[in-house]
This record gives sequence, structure tokens and C-alpha cells, in this order.
Amino acid sequence: MTEVARAFRDKTAVAGVGMKLGKFPGQTALSLAIDAFKLALDDSGLKREDVDGLIVLSFGSDYDRLLEALGLNVRYAHQGWSHGRFISPTVQFAAMAVAMGMAKAVAIVNGKRGKAFGQAGDTEMWRQGLGPHGESPAYGALRPAFGAAISAQRYFHLYGGSNDDLAPICVAFRKHARLNPDAVRRDPMTLEDYRRSPWIVEPLRLLDCCQINDGGSCIIVTSAERARDCRKPPVYISGMQGVHAGPQYHNLALPGLGVAQQKVYKYKPTPEDLYSYRMAGITQQDVDALITYDAFSPLVLFALERFGFCGPGEAREFVRNGRIELDGELPINTSGGLLSEGHLSGWNLLIEAARQARGECGERQVKDARIVQYACFLGESLIFRGDR
Amino acid sequence: MKPSTQRIDEATGRYLPIIYPEELPHWEGLRARRLVLQRCNACHGTWFPIGPTCPHCLSPEFAWAQMSGRGVIHNYVVFHKAWTPWLEKRVPYAVIQVELDEGPRLTTNLLDCPVGEVGIGLRVVAAYEDITDGITLLQFKPDTEASGKRHV
Repeated sequence: MTEVARAFRDKTAVAGVGMKLGKFPGQTALSLAIDAFKLALDDSGLKREDVDGLIVLSFGSDYDRLLEALGLNVRYAHQGWSHGRFISPTVQFAAMAVAMGMAKAVAIVNGKRGKAFGQAGDTEMWRQGLGPHGESPAYGALRPAFGAAISAQRYFHLYGGSNDDLAPICVAFRKHARLNPDAVRRDPMTLEDYRRSPWIVEPLRLLDCCQINDGGSCIIVTSAERARDCRKPPVYISGMQGVHAGPQYHNLALPGLGVAQQKVYKYKPTPEDLYSYRMAGITQQDVDALITYDAFSPLVLFALERFGFCGPGEAREFVRNGRIELDGELPINTSGGLLSEGHLSGWNLLIEAARQARGECGERQVKDARIVQYACFLGESLIFRGDR
Repeated sequence: MKPSTQRIDEATGRYLPIIYPEELPHWEGLRARRLVLQRCNACHGTWFPIGPTCPHCLSPEFAWAQMSGRGVIHNYVVFHKAWTPWLEKRVPYAVIQVELDEGPRLTTNLLDCPVGEVGIGLRVVAAYEDITDGITLLQFKPDTEASGKRHV
């Protein structure tokens, strides 16, 4: 670990969050982004002029149009790419910009209307080679669901089990969503309901797949010192690590599964793979709640093994018997996750992580949650620490 | 043969492959019923997807080489949902990932095999499907000369 990383722990914090999620047919991506920005400002107690950094991703308005509409000038602006894997790196950029003194408060703003249809997501499957989730349109290998299904198939082939092992994940997250007034899918779901759900891309059922929503989100990152003067308790950023990528890290797969060109082996994380724990000075045992990218249910199994919460092939057993539910040993996706709360490119997951660390989640609050980790199958991680 | 940026066959509604300029020898090979991929002149490795340099050793020197066309199903899924009208008439259909005997894995469909009989370890051999007047798509079919399944 570097000297800078040692000094970085808990020096920046999430000071404000804002979110709208659902169906907003009368609004544009721009107006949803602005609504979320105002909600986050109000949540933090900061004034518009206190924000001197802005990051947006590619869905929705460009950074310059958003700033123009907000009447705001900043000294740190950045625009990235709206894929779920890049949301936690975006928070990391914001924290680093604040820590380096390039901005005092960075707002990460997202606004999005409807399905990805007509947006970049539909054309990228035709890129040279294969699409980002292994898509190949001429063969009918369409949609991100394809990438999740081929990964699940290889996981079951290597470690045993079947689609039935995904049921406890979907049922647990639905239970959580039923305690979340913002969640989009709140009907009760039993294991039987899950098993009756139609196949989409076998071995995945409809209930293994999330839905896309309209919405807006905003997260404001500032210094720990400044965050302590804000309206809500600070949520410190204690540790972080990036997206691992390359031919061994197929999208929507765990390393070692043998998807596309991946090698076949039983993946176990190395110390380098778990850098964010060292940076935060904690271990997996200290994590009070885990939030993970669950656009498809198998990704939850992969995240558990990726971060060593269990050994290779053990996640199927880990998720059973309520262990990942609110009063379980490791509550996961307490808002209902993308599977049941809804999908705002994943930003709603990071907002839930911050709210759990603050202790403001009402009925779905994990008791005494202090350390909340956002960690995903591709290795990206953000470790949040509540100020309590 | 020429590069193609046409995404959909207007006559049938079928999605087409985009044919990039540096992939032309591969597509011309398929027209001639030959599976041709790049082989590195320096390390003799092969690779897929097609790319401008050897991902094993970064040498830009390669030759287009004919592959055996034989391999094994390393992975597969079955689409039950049809995302286009053309696919509505074809569900349920399998998409497979074949590990060639030479190493690279290719994503295709499996011809001449009922969906219920597709499985990991099944030996397959290259097949060629003419999907337009100008484009032949690489496919695979069960290898009737090979016996038994292979562990992968």
C-alpha cells in the first residue's frame, strides 16, 4: 500500500444522496438528473455554489448541457461511460479529485429515461469481435442476459448445481424490496413463484433478470472535514479498488469459469485482489452489509467468491437459509437490488450503501450497520464507514 | 468480397454479421467452406476474435491459416425469448461456445441437432451456412466421426 493510500482512508466522504426511480413519462433525462441533484443538495445541506466538481456518464445529458441547465460553473468536470461496472470507479475519481484538492465537492449526476433502446447499448453488440457481454447478433446471441447465462452455465458445470440455486437470492431481495417504498417490484415472491417464472436464456429465468427504469441519481462527495458539517452524518470512503479487466475477466463472469477465452480453474482471490480491505484496515468479517451489482442473479454468487466471503463453488450453499437476508449473517442488497428495487445503471445500489451506513433505512435498516461494502464480480469495491 | 456494415437483411429480418476490412480473409475462407483464422509467425499461437496483432506475444506478423474445423462444445445456453421477429420462428434455439482443437473458442449455433441434445463436451465439426448471396456464416454440427464426450 502506498503512503498516499494510507493517508487517504476516511479522508473523503459521501455527504449527500438523491434519487428518483420508477416511471416518469413526462420527464426527460435532463430533468430527472436535475431533480436528483436538488434532492442531494437538500440531503447534504450544501448550496449549489458549494459544488465545484461534476461527473456524468454517457446516458442522459452531456456534462456541459447539464451545467448550463443548472447555472453552475465547476473547476472539475468529467464524463464517463454508463455501464454498471464503471459506477464505483466514478465515485473513486470523485474521492481522489477531492483528496488531491482539485475540487471541494464533486456531484456525480445521472439521469436516464427508459430502456437502453436507441442508446449505445443496442449498437455495441455489433462492435468488432463480440459485444461487451459476448453478444453476437448473427447467431441470436443477444442482450446482456446472454453473458450472464453463459457464465451461470459454466459455473454450474464446474461446481454442480442448477438454476434452482439462484432462487434464494431472488426471493431474499424481493423480501427486502417489500420493505422499501421506492422499489419497483414489490409483489410477494416464493420459491415456487420463482420456479414457475419462464425461461429467458436458459439457465436464467425472467426473475433472474432485472428491469430497466426511468430515474435520476446524485451522489455528492466531499472532504471528511466538510462532510461533518453537513446535514446528515458523513459516510467515509475507507477503501477502494478498481475494475479488473482483460481476457480472464469476461463481463458477467467470475474468473476461471472458461467463458469465451477465459482459462478454466477454481478462482480464489489473491491478496492483490482484496486490496480495498487492506486500504480500509478491515477484513470480510467486518462487513455488516454487502451491496453488489445484481443485474442478473448469478452475479451475486460470483461476488461472494470473488471477495472471499466463501470458497470456490461454495456460494450456492452460502446464500441459503436466510443468510443473506436482513437479519442474516451477511445481508446483501438490502433495498431489493437491481432485481427488485430497480435499475438506475446501479447508482441506486451505491445510494443504498450510503443510507445503510448512515442508519436511515427504516424497516430495512441492518441493525448497527457501520461498514457497508459495495463489491462486484469484476473486482471493483468501495468500502464505506458510517460515523457511528 | 467487400466489407459490410449492413446489420439487418431487409428481405428476411435476420441480423447479419458486420464484416470489417481486416477480417476479409476469414469471410472469404467461409465462402470457400474453409475455417481460416490468424496464426502468429513468431509464437505460432492462434486467437479469436480476429485482431491486428498476436495477443500472446504482440507480434504483428501473422498468416491466415486453415483450422481443423474440429472442436468440442465448451459452453451453451438456450434462448427461449425471441428478441426479433426472425428469431420468433426459431425459439428455443441454442447458442454454443466451441473450443477448437487449436485452442480459440468461437460463439455459434449448432446445426442438425435438437436443442435437447446439446451438451458440454459434445464433439462438433465446422459447418457453413449461406445466409445471404454474399455472406457465409460459420456454424458447427455434431461430429459423427468422433465418439464419446470430452471433459472440458
